[in-house]
Amino acid sequence: MFNRLLNNLEEWLVAGFMATATLVIFAAVLHRYTASVSWIWQFTRHIDITWAQELCIYLFIWMAKFGAAYGVRTGIHVGVDVFINRMSGGKKRFWVCFGLLAGAFFTATVAVLGGMFVWRMFGTGQVSPDLELPMWIVYLAVPLGSSLMCYRFLQVAHAFLRTGKLPAHDHARVEGLDLAAEQRT
Amino acid sequence: MNGWIIFILLIALMFTGMPISIALGLTVLAFLFFLTDMPVEIVSQRLFTGLDQFAIMAIPFFILAGTFLTHGGVARRMIRFATALVGHLHGGLAIAGVFACALFAAVSGSSPATVVAIGSILIPAMEKQGYPKKFGVGVIGTAGCLGILIPPSIVMVIYAVSTNTSVGKLFIAGVVPGILLACILMGITWAIARKRNYPRMQRSSMKEVWVAYREAIWGLALIFVVIGGIYGGVFTPTEAAAMSAVYAFIVAVFIYKDLRWKDVPRVLLDSANMSAMLLYIITNAILFSFLLTSEHIPQAMAQWIIDKELSVWVFLLGVNLILLVAGNFMEPSSIVLLLAPILFPVAVKLGVDPIHFGIIMTINMEVGLIHPPVGLNLYVASGIAKMGLTETTIAFAPWIVVMVLFLLLVTYVPEIAMWLPNLLYNKAP
Repeated sequence: MFNRLLNNLEEWLVAGFMATATLVIFAAVLHRYTASVSWIWQFTRHIDITWAQELCIYLFIWMAKFGAAYGVRTGIHVGVDVFINRMSGGKKRFWVCFGLLAGAFFTATVAVLGGMFVWRMFGTGQVSPDLELPMWIVYLAVPLGSSLMCYRFLQVAHAFLRTGKLPAHDHARVEGLDLAAEQRT
Repeated sequence: MNGWIIFILLIALMFTGMPISIALGLTVLAFLFFLTDMPVEIVSQRLFTGLDQFAIMAIPFFILAGTFLTHGGVARRMIRFATALVGHLHGGLAIAGVFACALFAAVSGSSPATVVAIGSILIPAMEKQGYPKKFGVGVIGTAGCLGILIPPSIVMVIYAVSTNTSVGKLFIAGVVPGILLACILMGITWAIARKRNYPRMQRSSMKEVWVAYREAIWGLALIFVVIGGIYGGVFTPTEAAAMSAVYAFIVAVFIYKDLRWKDVPRVLLDSANMSAMLLYIITNAILFSFLLTSEHIPQAMAQWIIDKELSVWVFLLGVNLILLVAGNFMEPSSIVLLLAPILFPVAVKLGVDPIHFGIIMTINMEVGLIHPPVGLNLYVASGIAKMGLTETTIAFAPWIVVMVLFLLLVTYVPEIAMWLPNLLYNKAP
């Protein structure tokens, strides 16, 4: 139950950040070009959209931190698996678990360091240059995303020990293309 | 001394099979905790500020645009247009395949995506027409490489970010080598097809070409949005990427109507997944290259090579060898992120043009994409054709030779890459 909720939240956040960032930049570019059409410009020149770039960067950083956690679940983070793939049985199990736990360890460390950093940021009361958002909220992406990622690594390791299966990302599978191939004739 | 520890630790961690991003991160952490008194806080700050650059954000936008294009019927219409133009030649469908890959590469920044988009339609179609399966797989898989050479290109954005060069110039520099490679591939396909008597198709009438062109125009127009937009100074590369994402969405959902509304969240999520993976490697790679710089490793290496009085010729050969070897273990973005900060300062000191160097790296990455064990094009093509990996490798083998020859050509004739950017940027006021 908790996991289902978390999965949904993660997916919606990640897709939402992506869509919002795209629309923000699109709007900012459009806004800039309305300047050449005088009658539209009368209405649009009062809108201040200089914060678009900053917002886009922050959205993508948040997207990246949570998306990286989602990526652990879908198995998109790949490494040099040439040697592991040649192994079998207990040896392979050991190194796969080692990799997953190393991931959990790294993300946990980053979560703690990030948390400490956010705490200090909170003390300084620093705000971002354009949006004037408190920086500690912006930086919150690091500890939150990293904790989630750590949880995902442990989850995948747990599932691997129980079922022996790892999530794997298939680059060749694209939904909707079979349809395209059928219509081709 | 410290340099050796860093590299040995990194390589050891990477070979255990853990994600490259984690291996990079752990190396940095281990170094900071045990070998230096640099404050660890820098890590947590860098994890955030490393990504704090608008240029990097072109990557998720280009990925999003690419996913919309692969889902929408853009590829199918480009194939029909290409077939109408060159289908009547010897091996018409195969040549049209290369041509369509080049067209799709001009709107997409990723090679495997190009193979997926064009290959999943054309590889089965070629088999049906009587081409040997191996030939089809080899041609389309290799032509898919054009994806990262013809702009836009995600690999070039990554190179530009990690070496502080201009994305726009790199894109422009990729145009001529990209077209040249497409022509070479088409020429070879034609020659083989003539010798082996592969099927030709009926010549299309002018009217058919026109209809196919009108159908494909929405996809083709995107080429001008990206290249024209960036070169004309209308957009920054990141803005161009965002515009092409929105444009691709409109074309896929409203004009071609190949993508239903309810599929859009899925597309967003898939693109976000891929982008986040790349951004995560980028974050950790920036951390790693920060560590290298603070230990003065690139400078030391540059000095070492200069003391050896290596000629540019030998240096570039060495670079190509290193990159080709690295291509056996890692995928392109990681290689560029890892090696560009190290090799770049040396190249610049030896007088190699930064843009030319970027193109050399990109073509190297293409070669890595089509040979085992980690060539993504290879895996994608074998997945589409439902062909075993060994067989697919054999199918690619002759094309790898072609690609290596092309790499040497572009390496030692810099004019191929530099002619167009020199022409465009030196005359600009």
